[in-house]
Amino acid sequence: MKNLIHAELLKLRTTRMIYGLALAALAFAAISAISAISTAGRSGGGPALSTAAGIRNVMSAGLPGGILALVIGILIMAGEFRHNTATSTFLISPHRGRVVGAKFAASALVGGALALLSSAVTLAVALPWLATKHVHVDIFSRNVGLVLLGGIAAMTIYATVGVGVGSLIRNQTAAVAIALAWVLGVENLLVSFAHEIGRWTALGAAAALTNQQTNSDLLPMWGGALLFVAYGLAFAAAGTRFTMRRDVS
Amino acid sequence: MTQTETHTTNTTTDVINADPIHQKESLMKASIQIGGLTKRFGNVVAVDNLSFEVAQGSVTGFLGPNGAGKTTTLRMLLGLIEPTAGSSTIAGKPYQELVDPFRHVGAVLESTGFHPGRRARDHLRVLCVAAGLAVTRVDEVLDEVGLGDVGDRRVKGFSLGMRQRLGLATALLGEPEVLILDEPANGLDPEGVRWLRSFLRSYADGGRSVLVSSHLLAEIAQTVDNVVIIAKGRLVTQSSLADLADRTRAGVWVRTPQAQALREALAAKGIAAEVQTPETVVALETTTEAVGIAAAGAGVVIFEMTAQHFDLEEFFLDLTTPTTNPITQGASR
Repeated sequence: MKNLIHAELLKLRTTRMIYGLALAALAFAAISAISAISTAGRSGGGPALSTAAGIRNVMSAGLPGGILALVIGILIMAGEFRHNTATSTFLISPHRGRVVGAKFAASALVGGALALLSSAVTLAVALPWLATKHVHVDIFSRNVGLVLLGGIAAMTIYATVGVGVGSLIRNQTAAVAIALAWVLGVENLLVSFAHEIGRWTALGAAAALTNQQTNSDLLPMWGGALLFVAYGLAFAAAGTRFTMRRDVS
Repeated sequence: MTQTETHTTNTTTDVINADPIHQKESLMKASIQIGGLTKRFGNVVAVDNLSFEVAQGSVTGFLGPNGAGKTTTLRMLLGLIEPTAGSSTIAGKPYQELVDPFRHVGAVLESTGFHPGRRARDHLRVLCVAAGLAVTRVDEVLDEVGLGDVGDRRVKGFSLGMRQRLGLATALLGEPEVLILDEPANGLDPEGVRWLRSFLRSYADGGRSVLVSSHLLAEIAQTVDNVVIIAKGRLVTQSSLADLADRTRAGVWVRTPQAQALREALAAKGIAAEVQTPETVVALETTTEAVGIAAAGAGVVIFEMTAQHFDLEEFFLDLTTPTTNPITQGASR
């Protein structure tokens, strides 16, 4: 199992795709933080930086970048079928459950690492800038720390959900397109305009993870965490089941 | 005749078993055994109650036209496709139950199983890590298949022939005792095919076994010891190449009212012949001239006489032609 996880990480490191996506995620974190700070307290922007909510808004601005972790997760799984490398992979480990398990573990590691880097970028942009505005931020305070932790958890789970999606939708391009359209389109609309349904979606759960009750339309943070983990597990179970039974040809 | 002919219950195709003594021998040291393997995709039967085996230390050619079910069979053997019925073992165990299967079985299934953006060396490195093999094997197998100089190139720049070699390198990583290759000669240039032949030969001569599929008999006829021929997912014949060649000797087909007398007249001249029906005789390994002279000498009347120039390729085509059926053509997907 350790070998398989190691191999999954090596697979990622030996193609350029992961670097592109990681770079995009980090750039997104930087841009989101910049835009959150520069629009804070103005009309159309977030709460003023002098408030706790304003700081949280800056710290969680990069959250939608989690969608890129979802894409990485999809590529980890669906890429095997796209390029027919699934054949060698399953020849080495005919116990497919182990392969899928290794992919979930690898995706969580990559998602988590990317989340840490994203948070670091957010802080690197925000802290010096806020300091010039004489706003002091204690990243270990409950206010900021929970937002950062929630963001890291969200990105990690997004990546594992991606592996599940990639096992359910065999075609890599279709899997990415459907997942993006679903999360950014359907779920986004539901979260914004149909709160009763929206709070139960993956996006709603991910948002709740970093929200800390500022937005009462969402579930409480712990609820969002539980729901999002449940999404991850459900996709993991469905993906494993599907991959176990599928003919590889 | 050392061959016996039997008819299976569910097919009109003759199943001709090779020399039974040889078969019994190979049964004891078969490295691959396939028994009653069947795969249905919806209404299409891709593989139909197929049984054969591969003897240890031999190269066995797995032949059949495109769409005969070769790839499906190999994928079932390797645990990639779930059979509808039947079983298969490698070294006595189903593939899924082998411990460290990569160290026992090397398989090359298609030329496209690589991420195009990954360097050849990295592709092999990933598999080494996954299989728990020493990464030093990477350079060894690259050299072995003649890709030592291009290991650092991304696979998207590889020709079909280079991909075939990289596939073979993949299969060799674990130094397996059984090699399973699906159409490995596709895309190889003549020099590459020659190289592949000698490679497989020396591989099997070391006591290891090779099962190699092809839709072209000529491609592998010089390399294989045994052939398994399938068509429409069914076994047509399993025999040694020597036996198959025996059955395809050139001969003369004769129609005569004195079949028995002609056979005796030919025998007296040292020409082997078989009475096929009361009116037809097939004289083996001879010419129309020799048969005519023998018949004249014995005063045998001949109505009709045809020289038969069988060759392996034609024989193979004869055995497998019924498969030009569009339904089975699509069955190997």
